Amino acid sequence: MGDLIYLYGLIPTEETTEQSFPSFKGFDGEREIYTLSFGSTTAIVCQLNAEEYSEENIKEKINDDMEWLQEKAFHHHETVVAFSKMYTVVPLKFCTIYKNEESLMNTVQTNQDKLNSAFSLLAGNEEWNLKIYCDDSLLKDQVSKSNPAIEEKRAQISELPKGRQFFEKKKLDKLIDSELEEEKTRISEKIHFQLKEFVLQGNVKRNWSKDVTGKDENMTWNSVYLIPKSDVEPFLEKIQQYEKDMKETGWQFAASGPWPAYHFSSFS
Amino acid sequence: MQQVNPTSGKINLDPDNAEHGLAQLVLTVIELLRQIVERHAIRRVEGGTLSDVEIENLGEALMNLEEKMEELKEIFGLDAEDLNIDLGPLGSLL
Repeated sequence: MGDLIYLYGLIPTEETTEQSFPSFKGFDGEREIYTLSFGSTTAIVCQLNAEEYSEENIKEKINDDMEWLQEKAFHHHETVVAFSKMYTVVPLKFCTIYKNEESLMNTVQTNQDKLNSAFSLLAGNEEWNLKIYCDDSLLKDQVSKSNPAIEEKRAQISELPKGRQFFEKKKLDKLIDSELEEEKTRISEKIHFQLKEFVLQGNVKRNWSKDVTGKDENMTWNSVYLIPKSDVEPFLEKIQQYEKDMKETGWQFAASGPWPAYHFSSFS
Repeated sequence: MQQVNPTSGKINLDPDNAEHGLAQLVLTVIELLRQIVERHAIRRVEGGTLSDVEIENLGEALMNLEEKMEELKEIFGLDAEDLNIDLGPLGSLL
């Protein structure tokens, strides 16, 4: 059985002639990463031993060997990031492996049109991520105080007998919670809309739970943007301005990037 | 008092500190039952089948129960997050 081909990413062939290809160790830590050109697209690949890296073995490692997974996922990410700094890269997901050069070539050739449009979309642009966090208790206070209907309801409740107050307060808490969620979405959507001025495309992603973020504040917004390089600075300045203006009301902003453009290139 | 495994959503049954883990487990079960009773009571009140006196008595009892629960959480150094244990793919308990 011949060697397998591990695919990191795809780049426009014309960009490979502009600079020499750097020397990096591949997925097995031994063999070098190299390129395979298929017309206008060039693949960044390395070879893997077919037995050691069979589908079964990799599945087993991913499920049972956290240390291996961490090391290899880190290697994949670092490699794709390094190449993204040099070329227009359509990044591939972790552990994208082809049986041989021929099967990779077939996939590339079948998707050539898609790849060409991905290259022209990504060239000269960067992917950035924005996560917005909110201290619910601070915002809840504001929502509850600035809403006359809630204030009026609170005054009415204070005149009720104790037992009845309990139920009415629970109802009011529920109302405040739903107002809070609406307010968080409204503010985040407004920011997302305003940031679109600087970006080519913006996508909203699912929020992460506190277990994942490790933060005390809830994540209220998670989005990715494809931004022309020249607009990255004003984009970040705008976010800094939000942070400055909204810090006291419990809002936090975390922009990160540039990332390999996973969210704006659908090749897989 | 030392806080038991704060905000992790997991029960800490460390052999050297078993009483804390046990308190967290017991309070988690009580809090779950308390919330079930509370939700059921709210449904009955909203259903309109209870008299004013019954609503008043039920409300006061639930209020006292809630206050007691807060006291117990304070005594054992636990907060609401500690009682909301992680049930893996099922999500959080409360």
